[in-house]
Amino acid sequence: MSDEIAYSTIRELGRRYRARQLSPVEVTQAMLARIEKLDPALNAYVTLTADRALADARAAEEYLRRGDDRPLLGIPIAHKDIYCTRGIRTTGGSALLADWVPDEDATCVQRWQAAGTVMLGKLITHEFAFGIQAPGHRFPPARNPWNRDHIPGGSSSGSGAALAAGLVYGATGSDTGGSIRGPAAFCGIVGLKPTYGRCSRAGVLTLSWTLDHTGPMARTVEDCALLLQPLAGHDPLDPASSRAPVDDYLAPIGRDVRGLRIAVPRNFFFEGVDPEVERAFEAAMATMRQLGVEVHDVRIPSLAAAPSFLLIMLAEAYAYHERDLRTHPELYGNVLRERMMAGGLVTGSEYVQAQRIRAQIGQEVAAVLREVDMLATPTALFPALPFTRALDPELGFPRSNMPPFNLTGSPTLALPCGFSSSGLPLSLQLAGRPFEEGTVLRAGHAYEQATPWHTRRPAV
Amino acid sequence: MADELTLEELRARIQAAGLTIPDNRLGMVRKLLSDALVPVRALDSRTVKTVEPAVRFTPDGGAR
Repeated sequence: MSDEIAYSTIRELGRRYRARQLSPVEVTQAMLARIEKLDPALNAYVTLTADRALADARAAEEYLRRGDDRPLLGIPIAHKDIYCTRGIRTTGGSALLADWVPDEDATCVQRWQAAGTVMLGKLITHEFAFGIQAPGHRFPPARNPWNRDHIPGGSSSGSGAALAAGLVYGATGSDTGGSIRGPAAFCGIVGLKPTYGRCSRAGVLTLSWTLDHTGPMARTVEDCALLLQPLAGHDPLDPASSRAPVDDYLAPIGRDVRGLRIAVPRNFFFEGVDPEVERAFEAAMATMRQLGVEVHDVRIPSLAAAPSFLLIMLAEAYAYHERDLRTHPELYGNVLRERMMAGGLVTGSEYVQAQRIRAQIGQEVAAVLREVDMLATPTALFPALPFTRALDPELGFPRSNMPPFNLTGSPTLALPCGFSSSGLPLSLQLAGRPFEEGTVLRAGHAYEQATPWHTRRPAV
Repeated sequence: MADELTLEELRARIQAAGLTIPDNRLGMVRKLLSDALVPVRALDSRTVKTVEPAVRFTPDGGAR
């Protein structure tokens, strides 16, 4: 398979299908062969579903012959391995669930299936979407295609690595404190954390009920919009699911961005930022201005308290895992086990105070977003860490720019905005008003089209 | 209340929770909780008016 086809956009692949230049079966076979060849060095996939993929591809070909115009028809995708798949093992990246085969598909899996996608397999996740796998773990961690000595980010690590390496066209991720946006940033791809409640979590393993989001990951902003469309919408199986009307996410793509207003919160998001990250971010804001976007600085004082986010995540994760942690602690990875147990040490009062701080942050962010269309920040404070550093237990949970928007539930897009001098991707984060995914997609697409970053490929 | 979570306090919490955390992980757990507790311990609870905890939406889907 040529790199050109492997890195094709979803829209271009669909166009070629309909022009009969390519077929879903051809592309699926070639993609499976590419995975067999390249993935042993990357570990992006934990389970390959070749028979299922070919059956999906054959069905897609039949629909295409009948003139079916669904934009995701015949597009090879894969799911983060915390999304339940009926009859296909769903490991959560954990020895505890290493052989678990669910009876039901997650709602998001069903919705992409109904959209006509081709499921290539399951993508490795950090253990239970929280802890990177240390050497000796049942499942090896994914590696970053830009430099295999570096992490691809997590927890949607396989999704980020597979997209960057041209091993899939779209993938699901989940985001509790940055697990869609982190891998997007470190792998040089695009990730969208939609508004809390916009996409269903039913059938997706829980990390933290009040912070968990599901969403799409892709190589371009438009592909993200295409992948979001069928995922968005009410699901009675998810108690947090919203009944807000679903927008047409393709409609804003390509629209003029002149007059859009961006605020850059100058406190919190730049504390400890890597100089190369900061330079890339400022250059991105200069590009936005050239596109006609109004950019100005703001301060959001309550963000100083955002690290209390961790109390909420730890306490909720412990609540979910407590029984297994007490009965099968040996089946949790080292370090992750103690991280999870830390949640059992958070007092009730501390959890409530953290939620009150969260509400305060939400109010201040909402007040700023009444005056502007979105906030912009660097997605990550630094490029992807080397494994040697990331696996150090003393690292803890590094300061991050992503959790504030899990606290607020805002739709937040991460997209490439440059490269470090060592050749690692850098990323821009855009956060909008609730249910205004279209606005961040519109601005992100305009920026993407004005810059070359999304066209660069790692040497895999 | 001390700003930092002391090792003694951490050990007391572990005992109260009935958990077992090996000594070589206590530093990691202490750092994890200490960093997250800083804002909570600095909070003057009386100045925070909000009582509802999470992101909420109106019945028609708008945020509030």
